[in-house]
This record gives sequence, structure tokens and C-alpha cells, in this order.
Amino acid sequence: MKENILAMNKRSFLATVCFAVAAATVVSSCGDGKRREQRMEFARNMYDPVAYNPDQPNANFKNKITAQTPPEGSTPIGFEKFEYENTTEDYELAGEEMVNPLELSEANLQKGEALFQAYCAVCHGADGKGDGPITQDRSVEDSRGKRDLENFPPPPSLQKSDKASSSRGGLMSELTDGKIYHTIYYGHNSMGPYASQMKPEERWQVIMYVNELQEK
Amino acid sequence: MRNISSIIGGFVRTVSLCLILSLSLSVSVFAQDDIKEGETLYKSKCTSCHALDRHLVGPALEGMSERHPDEEWLVSWIRNSQQLIQDGDEVAVQLFEENNRMVMTAFTDLSDEQIKNIIAYVDAETAGGGDEEQGDASQIAASQDKGISPWMIIGVIAIAAVAIAIVLVLNRAIQTLEKLVEANKDAIAEAAEEESDRENRFLVFAKAFVKNKKLVFFFVLMVVAILGVVGWKVMWNVGVHEGYMPVQPIKFSHQIHAGVNQIDCQYCHGGAYESRNASIPSANVCMNCHTTITGADHYDGSLSPEIAKIYKAVDYDPDTREYGDNPKPIEWVRVHNLPDFAYFNHSQHVSVANVDCETCHGPVEAMEEMYQYSPLTMKWCVECHQETSVDMDNEYYDQLIEAHEKLKKGEKMTAAMIGGLECGKCHY
Repeated sequence: MKENILAMNKRSFLATVCFAVAAATVVSSCGDGKRREQRMEFARNMYDPVAYNPDQPNANFKNKITAQTPPEGSTPIGFEKFEYENTTEDYELAGEEMVNPLELSEANLQKGEALFQAYCAVCHGADGKGDGPITQDRSVEDSRGKRDLENFPPPPSLQKSDKASSSRGGLMSELTDGKIYHTIYYGHNSMGPYASQMKPEERWQVIMYVNELQEK
Repeated sequence: MRNISSIIGGFVRTVSLCLILSLSLSVSVFAQDDIKEGETLYKSKCTSCHALDRHLVGPALEGMSERHPDEEWLVSWIRNSQQLIQDGDEVAVQLFEENNRMVMTAFTDLSDEQIKNIIAYVDAETAGGGDEEQGDASQIAASQDKGISPWMIIGVIAIAAVAIAIVLVLNRAIQTLEKLVEANKDAIAEAAEEESDRENRFLVFAKAFVKNKKLVFFFVLMVVAILGVVGWKVMWNVGVHEGYMPVQPIKFSHQIHAGVNQIDCQYCHGGAYESRNASIPSANVCMNCHTTITGADHYDGSLSPEIAKIYKAVDYDPDTREYGDNPKPIEWVRVHNLPDFAYFNHSQHVSVANVDCETCHGPVEAMEEMYQYSPLTMKWCVECHQETSVDMDNEYYDQLIEAHEKLKKGEKMTAAMIGGLECGKCHY
């Protein structure tokens, strides 16, 4: 019984090791790699910032939010207030008075197109014909099964050739820059306001591109 | 004679019935055409503000011909409501006031016939749909009325009967078993002995196992290897949250929004192009579409519970379409979390280096639930930085090249000229 372990048959030793490693691999590769909980962490306090992140809860404020709304009436430096109200009269007025301050250039047009494709094309379509992907019939297949998705009501086409009329009078292709700016700022009918998503300069760039679509 | 006259009468009746049927059929075919035209017009002109069964931007159109039986009036209202209001039509003015003085588009390009077709379509659609629904509902109600009370009583009686039967049968079985035990006393004792024998056999096996050094060695090796691999994996993954998929407060699906709907990443995460943080969209961005999209198709005409959570967050009342003053933020659970000692800037990667979102975030358009695709370890960052060639086409590198040219010419270069006066260099 006093035989040496190392004297064990070399081949069976190798086989044993292979088998053990294979078993370990099989055991440890269970699951699809997704987990509901975070993994183990070392020194968590090095991960958390000393200052508050904007999306963190914050007990110092009454509403427990870090990103507080600025006090009413406060204006950031360099912020230009939009003077027109959300009324039909001011819409017409903006249409008459406002002028695109940007120079018609290739760079501005390109930015305008990129912004149009990101923010507008979902409904208005890549060419402004009012046939964006969410206005079309489409379906999804996921854990809840296959089902059709609700269509967003299609907006009227911006192109001249379609002769679509705007809900506030006139043709879509004849909307002036000020009217489009007013609509981007406040939204209209089913369209939401985009003031929070685009800066004034970006709105004018989009309008510059929309002007191109209107000519089509 | 009487027979013959009745036969002839029957024949005449059949023929006339056939005639009437075919006539009405052809009329309804005509009407069907009109309704079809009405449907196309309705879908292209009306749906951006109106729905049949609920208030969208404008009021629900269901039952509009009952509310306004005068078709001529309805036609002129639809063609140019503002004209009608300016002319001082009482009903028109009242309707305008009732709907928050919302101006309806004028459709001067539509003919009387076309507008009438739209009205016909709306009537046909609401009448047809409504009847069916009512029919279904009343059927269900009827079946429930008939079903519930008698069936419940019969069910209760049946359950009681079955229970009594089971008790009786079990009693019988116990008696039989007791008799059996009595009859087979010897056999049972034998079986017990065998059992202890088997235990002994296990002990013998265990002793033999311990004596066999090879076997013990094999066993120990297995345990060490498994522990080693598991330990290795755990240790390497400390602080690595690849595959982390937390439960979010709203079942938001990127698969639907970014995949099927093809909404650009920038639409919601615009911050990635401009700032350090990719930014979680505020709920007003959700409301751009979800004032209209309520998911009612999948919830029997009522609001989807997940979309209701957005409404609650922004304190929006879908019936009055107005916002209250008690918004509550949605507490999304952060998926990607870099430790605070690592600085990462989204805009630098997205706007300057033109890295696609998918490079780090993976196939988001196929993710029903968001999970962390990349390990976000330092090794992972470094590997990408070693492989990626720099896109030199931007102003920063123009400045750099300019500075080099100056150096070559032997001009003086101060720290300020290479960004030494930027606030962030000291005050970060």
C-alpha cells in the first residue's frame, strides 16, 4: 500500500487532469452570462463619486433629485429667450419676422441633414414625405410573442410635389422659416416640442435642410 | 287552383327578392367604393389629429353624424371650420370653444363628394366596429349570467361528493394495509435485515475507496480543479459587470424603439454627442410620441400599464391631455458604471473619433432589456486604443500640426499656445 503517488501511470494522470479541467469548465460555463445583480466588488468607495452624479437621488433636497430645475426666471449666460407665445397669432408673427441667422453653407446643410435624420425622420421620413418608420405597419417578436405595433399618425409631406396642406393654413412646402422654428419650439398637433433636444443653432440648421426638402 | 297561385306567388316573391338583393348589393358595392375612397382620404388627411374612439389632438370622430345630423353643415365645417366660425355660425363657435380654440386644418382642396365619403367611412367604421364589440360584449355577459350561479352550485356539490368518496376509499385502503402487515410480519423483518446489510456494504465501499490512494488523489484533484477554475473566474471578475441586466422601473424595450422603430440613438441620448454623459432622456422626450401612442391595441383599448408609468412620472392626465404640477422622476437603474477614478467622455469618442455606439454597447437594437455588453475594464480600453487609428480630420489635430510647424521654424511656443490656459487643465 505504500506506493508513490508520482509513480502513477502517466497516461491516467494526464487523463485525470483533462477530465477535471473539462468538468470545471462545464460547471463554470452555465447561464447566458446575464445577471440581475452586480458581481463582487473590491473597495466600493473608490467607485462612488464624492460629489453627486446628476442622476443620483439626493436627500439634501426636498424632492430628492440632484438635477434641480433652475429657479423660475433664471437665465443661463448666452441664452436667448424665444419671445413668441404658443398661439396661432404668434405663429403667424414668427413666420413673418424671424430670419435664419445662419449662412447657407455646405457645413450647415450637412449638420442640418444629420439632425433631421436623427430627430425628424422617424416620423417625417428620410425625404420629408411623411413616411417615417413609425408611421408604417411593423411588428416585433420578443418575450411577449409576436405582435403588431401601433402606427404613429403620419405627418403631411414637406415636399412641394406632394402639395400637402399644413393644419395652420397654406402648403407645407410654403411654410416660412419662422413658422417652422415656432413649430420645432412648441410642437403642434401630434408633434411634440423639440426645444429641449435641439439648440437654437441646430434648429436653424435643420430648417436650412427642410428648405431643401420643400423644393423637391 | 289555390296551390298554383301560391306557387306562382312564391316564385314572384323569390324573383323580386333576388332583384332587390342584387340591387341593394350593387348599391352597397357603390357605397363600398365610396367608403374605400373615404378611408384613403381619412388616413391621409385626418389621422394626424383625430382617432375614431378617443380624443387625440381633436375630438373622437365616433358618432359625429349623430351629433351633427345636418350633412351639409358637417361638410362645410370639415372644409373650412374657421370660415364657418368667422361667419358666426353658433354651433361652429360653440364647438371651437369646447375644444380649447384649437384650429382645424382647412381642406379647401376636397370636393363635397370626397368629404361625404370621409363621413361615410367614419360612420361605417364606427357602426360596424361598435356593433361587433357590443355583440361580443353582450354575448360574454349573457354567457356569464347563464354560467356562473348554477355551475358554481353543481361544482361545489361535485367537489363535496368527490371528497367524501376519497375519504371512504382511503379508509378502506388503511384497513386492507393493516391486514397485509399482520399477514407478512416475517417478510418485513427479512427486508429490514437486508437494509442493514446494504448500509454495511456502503461502509465497506467507503473503506475500500479511502484505501485506494489513486482514487482519492483523483477525487481531490477534481475538487481542486473545479475550485481553481471557479475561483479564477470570480477573482478576475471582481468589479467587472459584463452582462449586468438590472430590472428597470419601466419595461422599456430598446428592441422596439431602436430596432423596429429605427429611432436614432441621438434622439434620446443626444448628450453622447455633446458631453461627457450620454444622458438618460427626460420623460418629456418619451411624451413626444407617447401622448399619441398608448399601446391600447394590446390592452383591450385601455392604456398600457408601462406607458401609464410615464404619465405618472410627468403627471399627465390622458383624458384632459393636461399636465399637473406633481412630476416624479423615473428612477432608472444605472447599467454602465465606471469607477469614479476613471475619466470617460462620450463626446470625445462619438463626435470626435466617430466611434459607433454599437462598438461598446453591442447590439442594442436587439436588446429587449438593456445589459452591459462590454467588460469596461482597463484592459478592454487599452486594447481598443492600441488598435484604433486616429481620424485626423478635425480641428484639434489641425492645431497640433500648426504647432509642430511653428516648432520646426524655431518660433517660441508657450504653454498657453497648446491649451495651457484652459480652465479644465487645473480646475477639474
